[in-house]
Amino acid sequence: MRRRRGSAADDDAAVIEGSWREPERFAVLFDRHAPYIYRYLARRAGRQVADDLVAETFLAAFAKRDRYDLGHADARPWLYGIATNLVGQHRRDEARQYRIRQAAAAEPEVPGHADRVAADVTAQAMRTLLDAALAALSAGDRDVLLLIAWEQLTYQEVSRALAIPVGTVQSRLHRARTKVRQVLAGTDAAAAYEEITTNE
Amino acid sequence: MNEMELLRELAQETPLPAPAELEAARARLVAAITTDPATYATAVAEVTTSQPYPPAGQSAGPLRPPAPAAVLTAARFMHGGAISSAAYLIAALPFADDVKGSVLSYHLAATPLIITLVILAGLAVIGLWLWMARATSQGKNWARVLSTVLFGLATLELLSALELIGKNGIAQALTAALTWLSGLAAVWLLWRPASSAFFKSARAARSRPPSQIPGP
Repeated sequence: MRRRRGSAADDDAAVIEGSWREPERFAVLFDRHAPYIYRYLARRAGRQVADDLVAETFLAAFAKRDRYDLGHADARPWLYGIATNLVGQHRRDEARQYRIRQAAAAEPEVPGHADRVAADVTAQAMRTLLDAALAALSAGDRDVLLLIAWEQLTYQEVSRALAIPVGTVQSRLHRARTKVRQVLAGTDAAAAYEEITTNE
Repeated sequence: MNEMELLRELAQETPLPAPAELEAARARLVAAITTDPATYATAVAEVTTSQPYPPAGQSAGPLRPPAPAAVLTAARFMHGGAISSAAYLIAALPFADDVKGSVLSYHLAATPLIITLVILAGLAVIGLWLWMARATSQGKNWARVLSTVLFGLATLELLSALELIGKNGIAQALTAALTWLSGLAAVWLLWRPASSAFFKSARAARSRPPSQIPGP
């Protein structure tokens, strides 16, 4: 488990409820979740943009904290939902991020042991393919796929985050996975990567 | 290794940020927190309990926390309700005798007295809207309860107004519906959690006896 789950007295809902009367308590939520939200934003839109977006995410959350449903002890889906909406307003930055990663992957690292170099080159080729596949997905499909694959949210949590039914989450995920699989399938890099990871 | 595992592996290349990288974002949040009205309310409450004497020129009465956005918006809706009530009154005047007749189950002639009474009743309703807007903005919980009760009565009035659509024209029904919607929005906002917190803290500020203020 990557994050501590609080007791009822100090769970996210209690912190948010407390912040209605004592707003400074909201900073606890920042300290608890900001690193993960930042990393999610950095992966999607780049570190420079993430600096701004993480602040905007928590400012937006703070501004609408009185509308938070206290029935949900964990505020992560709510925060990821806000962050994802903000990424939606920075699609160009996100697209650029994928291009940067593809360009970086095209330049192999420093030479070393022959097998290791081959593995690195193959892994980078896989990353290039993955980034291309992600860039080709529709925004809605990509949101679902990345919240599940990267942030390990459950279907229900993604449903809350994006305000869509669980069935839609499942269908979007299925569609996104199929598309990514199609991009990866049958490529030399994928076969080589499969072989290398199997041998490791 | 499937595509989900590949994605996770890709994600692991992005490390968690160092605390310093989040300082600017945290500072922006803290700045927003310090300018929040509820923070001001807390600070005022602390000052009230820590100052031995009120500053010169100020009464020793309790300091009221500023109303949150939900309550202020509710007050705006109430002002809107007052305006639409005035419009309703104007729309209803030509049918003053019918209105009374429908309520009292017998027909009354549109005498000057009846018209005056209808106008006075309409003005009283407008006055109620404005009074409730003012009292709720001041954090008076009884006003919130009374507003809710009045909204219930307005619902009944809306039902009776709807019966008159065909008879008295659409204008009267529309203004009645607008008035009702203003009431609905105001009541909903008045019972939001942030509003409840405001009414609670306002009551606490009012009920704090002077003896609780520490002496020198």
